[in-house]
Amino acid sequence: MANFNSSVLNPDRYTHISDLELLEQFYASHDNHWLGILLPRYTLLLLGVCMKYLKNEEEAKDSVQQIFLKAITELHKYKVGYFKSWLYMVAKNYCLMKLRDRQGRISVEIKDQMAVTPEEDNNRHLHLEKDRQLELMSNSMQELANEQKLCVTLFYLEKKTYQEIAGQTGFTLMQVKSYIQNGKRNLRILLEKKLNA
Amino acid sequence: MDNDLLNILSNSNKDIDNQKLMDYLGGKLSGKDKYEVEKWMADNEFVNEAVEGLQDFSGKKNLQAYVDQLNKDLNHYIQQKKLRREKRKIKEAPWVYIAIFVVLAIVVIGYIMIRKLLP
Repeated sequence: MANFNSSVLNPDRYTHISDLELLEQFYASHDNHWLGILLPRYTLLLLGVCMKYLKNEEEAKDSVQQIFLKAITELHKYKVGYFKSWLYMVAKNYCLMKLRDRQGRISVEIKDQMAVTPEEDNNRHLHLEKDRQLELMSNSMQELANEQKLCVTLFYLEKKTYQEIAGQTGFTLMQVKSYIQNGKRNLRILLEKKLNA
Repeated sequence: MDNDLLNILSNSNKDIDNQKLMDYLGGKLSGKDKYEVEKWMADNEFVNEAVEGLQDFSGKKNLQAYVDQLNKDLNHYIQQKKLRREKRKIKEAPWVYIAIFVVLAIVVIGYIMIRKLLP
């Protein structure tokens, strides 16, 4: 298989330039040339998200095209801070709209405020001393359901892959992913409760 | 291990490595690299949902072809838009170009006349 990164539209000379720098170049010049370098970095991810929601390869492909057009239009109208999270939100909103048109049901549109980004993630516990953080995290881990605690421990602390965890525990891959996701979510909730107490 | 415990709730803003993602989907990655992609998925909802969708595509070769086509179409669209904008600029400000043409014509005609008048 040809090297994925050496596409015609993403020449090697731009690979060292970050998304943020590309976006800044775009905002300085309003030249779509910079978006022509930035957007292809996300084509694969967008294709995956569209496929997940729409369950149809052709529709997913068409949707990615529409999302590109929407992104280019919107980027000319206002400044975007966290591009990856914003693009994800645009993609999800587009897919939900397509599903709504298909099924005739009203879906919730994801607003800017709902898109959680790493930079915006409210890690309030980080201002605490490390020992206190460890204590809170450790106590919260103990309060998780056994399957979630086991999978989170094997994944994050012992760095095992989903397959290895499935092999060791007897859970299916879907269950392993679900226990890790739910475990992480519950850890966050438990930590928040302790911080607010 | 302490840092790993503290970082469970951190999300990832890692740069995309599309090749690694394709290799993961194709089952080509070893334990450590495989774990790295799965951690990326666990820490980033965009990547997680994307991988779930990508796993439903009928073939990895199709995927590659789709991505290449989409990128080509995007580039074509951007080029066309640029050309249309430049054509519009000429249409909207023709006097600038007419003035340049007239000045150049005067210079050329003036040069020819001067050459003829000189002995």
